[in-house]
Amino acid sequence: MATTLSLEHPTAHTRRGGQAAARLLPAALACLLVAWLAVFIAYPALAVLLRSLSTKVGGFTLAHYQSFFAKGYFLRSLLNTLILGATVTGLCLSLGFAVAYLVARGPRPLRLPLRVLTLAPLIAPPYLFGLALIILAGRRGVLAQLLDMRIPLYGWLGVILSQVLSLLPVAFLMIENVLASLDPSIEDSACDLGADEPTLLRTVILPLASPGLLKAGLLTFGLSIADFGNPALLGGGLSFLAPDAYLMVTGEWNMEMASVLSVILLVPTLGIFLVQHYWLKGKTYTTVGGHATAAEPRGIGGGLLTALLTPSLVFGALVVGSYGVIALGAVTKLVGIDNTPTMQHFASMAGFDAIWTSFQVSLTAGLAAAMVGTGLAYLCMRTEVRLRGLLELTTLIGFALPGTVMGIGYILAFNSPPLYLTGTLAILILNMIARFLAVGLEAGVSKLYQIDVGIEEASADLGAGLLTTFRRITLPLMSSAFAAGFLFTFMQSMISLSAAIFLVAPGNLLASVYIFNRARDGDMGIACATSLLLILSLAACLAGLAVLARRTGIRMSAAHT
Amino acid sequence: MNEQPLLSLDGLTKRYGAVLAVCDVQADIRRGELVSFVGPSGCGKTTLLRIVGGFVRPTAGRVILDGEDISSLPPNQRATAMVFQNYALFPHLTVAENVGYGLTIRRRPAAEVGRRVEELLSLVQLQGFGHRRPAQLSGGQQQRVALARALSLQPKVLLLDEPLSNLDANLRVQMRTEITRLQRELNQTIVFVTHDQEEAMSISDRIMVMDRGRILQGGIPAEIYERPASRFVARFVGAANFLDGTLGNGIPGRTSIATKLGTLIVEKVSSGLTTGDRVAVLLRPEAIRLGPPDGHSEPNRLLGTITHAMYTGALIRYTVKVGDTPLTVDLSDPRHTPAFHRGDRVGLRLPSDPHLLPPDSAADANGS
Repeated sequence: MATTLSLEHPTAHTRRGGQAAARLLPAALACLLVAWLAVFIAYPALAVLLRSLSTKVGGFTLAHYQSFFAKGYFLRSLLNTLILGATVTGLCLSLGFAVAYLVARGPRPLRLPLRVLTLAPLIAPPYLFGLALIILAGRRGVLAQLLDMRIPLYGWLGVILSQVLSLLPVAFLMIENVLASLDPSIEDSACDLGADEPTLLRTVILPLASPGLLKAGLLTFGLSIADFGNPALLGGGLSFLAPDAYLMVTGEWNMEMASVLSVILLVPTLGIFLVQHYWLKGKTYTTVGGHATAAEPRGIGGGLLTALLTPSLVFGALVVGSYGVIALGAVTKLVGIDNTPTMQHFASMAGFDAIWTSFQVSLTAGLAAAMVGTGLAYLCMRTEVRLRGLLELTTLIGFALPGTVMGIGYILAFNSPPLYLTGTLAILILNMIARFLAVGLEAGVSKLYQIDVGIEEASADLGAGLLTTFRRITLPLMSSAFAAGFLFTFMQSMISLSAAIFLVAPGNLLASVYIFNRARDGDMGIACATSLLLILSLAACLAGLAVLARRTGIRMSAAHT
Repeated sequence: MNEQPLLSLDGLTKRYGAVLAVCDVQADIRRGELVSFVGPSGCGKTTLLRIVGGFVRPTAGRVILDGEDISSLPPNQRATAMVFQNYALFPHLTVAENVGYGLTIRRRPAAEVGRRVEELLSLVQLQGFGHRRPAQLSGGQQQRVALARALSLQPKVLLLDEPLSNLDANLRVQMRTEITRLQRELNQTIVFVTHDQEEAMSISDRIMVMDRGRILQGGIPAEIYERPASRFVARFVGAANFLDGTLGNGIPGRTSIATKLGTLIVEKVSSGLTTGDRVAVLLRPEAIRLGPPDGHSEPNRLLGTITHAMYTGALIRYTVKVGDTPLTVDLSDPRHTPAFHRGDRVGLRLPSDPHLLPPDSAADANGS
């Protein structure tokens, strides 16, 4: 952006200067951005691939892959990961559909509470539910202590449950969108022709929603197999690819095998990505019509209502229970065992420091990602830069790559000169930007599709140069895309773990990593206290942003995933 | 009306919070009749239709179909079928599957469904389109599919919600004929909702003009056009001039009305009116004759100046200023009558049998 400002010198406003700038500036910016994307997205990803194929001295070899497929252990990891992904996806889709259907069509008084409950996990680190489940139902957990219940939490049950809890909001938001895009009059006409609610669901709603459900499923699957925290906390004897890759790095410093695991983890992720962007494109039924009719709740019948509501309420109870147990864990000595109220877990400054570091990193990353993302969107949509496909693809790859892969890639790429960044805050910030840039870009692109080129042309017609038009007309119009990019990057950076855990150094621990480490070491009190602080500060940030949004009139719609 | 009505709307009211969308609507519809509800947008006509279809629960009142109170039945248990404004075809099903949907979910044998679908498609002249998807059809064809689908269950009443508003002008006129043909062929009772008064007049047996949730007037199209009950109705169904006046003395067959443009002699006034009553004289543009100015001051003759002329092909619509009062006057068949130009002085002959309305009533205060 520095170049932009210097070029806005008055001389650039003369007609010739403006024209030259109109040609040169976008090209220069585009080159800069392409270079940036190449260094911070493509290079680390390639570094992982190359490392998995190279010998210690730099020659080409397939030996690492051979040993991966020769070892039953790794194959089991792969299988476990895929089974986990499929199971969690199935559960999230069914549950997400149930909740979304109730929120969209169910009894009015239920709608808002259900929605809030379902979205509540979004402001917690993804592994928080793993932590909560351990405190609640672990070997020395509340249920074991109070009711003498022995729950086989460690293993499939715990991992699946905690992943469903943390991933449901994503599936729900996507399915809710799908249901909202269905024309109510199509449902009316099915009813009119004699369909009851179950028939309507089976013959109209599910078929129409299926492309959207498939999309939601693919995303959930990708997030599940990339998740590191929950399997690491609750896997017990089960192995999964993401935690295995972490152990390869931290335990054995076996970067080759870590890279192989990353590449294996990448294969389904890239498959999903390709399906989404090439096969599913344009396959959705957008049926929403021009005029909205006053839709009255049809009154979902007893049996169906029970079938949809029961799992939703169980889920809601688990969310409330998890947050509750975290809050209790923060203010008691050892919840379930020694319930004496105490503030001792807040005594250590390390938690506060970690949250403060997280906040700085996230704020910087959020602003930068939003700025670069919307800038990229503008370059792609409004200038003659012919790199749109490549730019979009690269940012989307940065978004789609599992955090573990991006973490390992950054270690490999930036651990030596000329870009020796290991252990700095910069590597964390750059990593976050690279991973979440796509949201600002996509929001910007879709906004620019909506903004009539004519508005900008009118401005240009009145004598404004490209820069002035951008600053005066386009930028204000794009503020909501900027906000979406910022909000998503900020929130994700505050809570995400999988890439950060590879990149933090003792001096710059992020809150999500700090809490995870405390939880893994069994320091449940401190983990809970810091989680509580993190969640409360996130809630405060969101409230503050909401106020800011209302003051400035910027529509800060829920971050899209 | 000795025959029992097929469909009775009995005191229907729908309230959304403080808003009265439909207010105490009373109407009877006979078997085989096509009745239109017309009114400006927001007048409650669509809500009324949705109440009949079962999509909206009335706050008060009953819907009686064939002697049975169906007010509390959901749409899937009513013998009504709706054609939606945007057709609401199922995009994931073929045309044949769309038309056969109602039969299929009732688990009728496939052969029977197939036969019935063929029958319906040929009824709406879409033979051979069964395998297509709705997205592959033109707007008019989609409209026909929606009609066929709605007719598939032989509904007692067919409900049409602005079905022609998404079609272009020519197609719209063609579909009007189509709908009246279906009505006759099947003796199908139809309730039709539209904001287009011309559409309503051209296809309806009877029209109900609505405003702000109420039926202002119901009757056959000619009655509504010629003898509207209020200025609002008069304006809604066509262009209208109003002249305020006071009834003077009359002998049978000749009553004078004093207006600001002079005295008007009319042949007949309705029985309720007496000398001294204030009235509004309705003058339809085509009922006023234009001619060259003549010097005579006869009753019902006026002199004016053309201030605007609008050529529309079938007629020329003039604005003629008489004193300070602008009057809208149509000259039909402009090819065979000499046209006038802006600034021309013309003579006007007012009809001797105009319809008389009550003077500005409260209900008209906003409407006109």
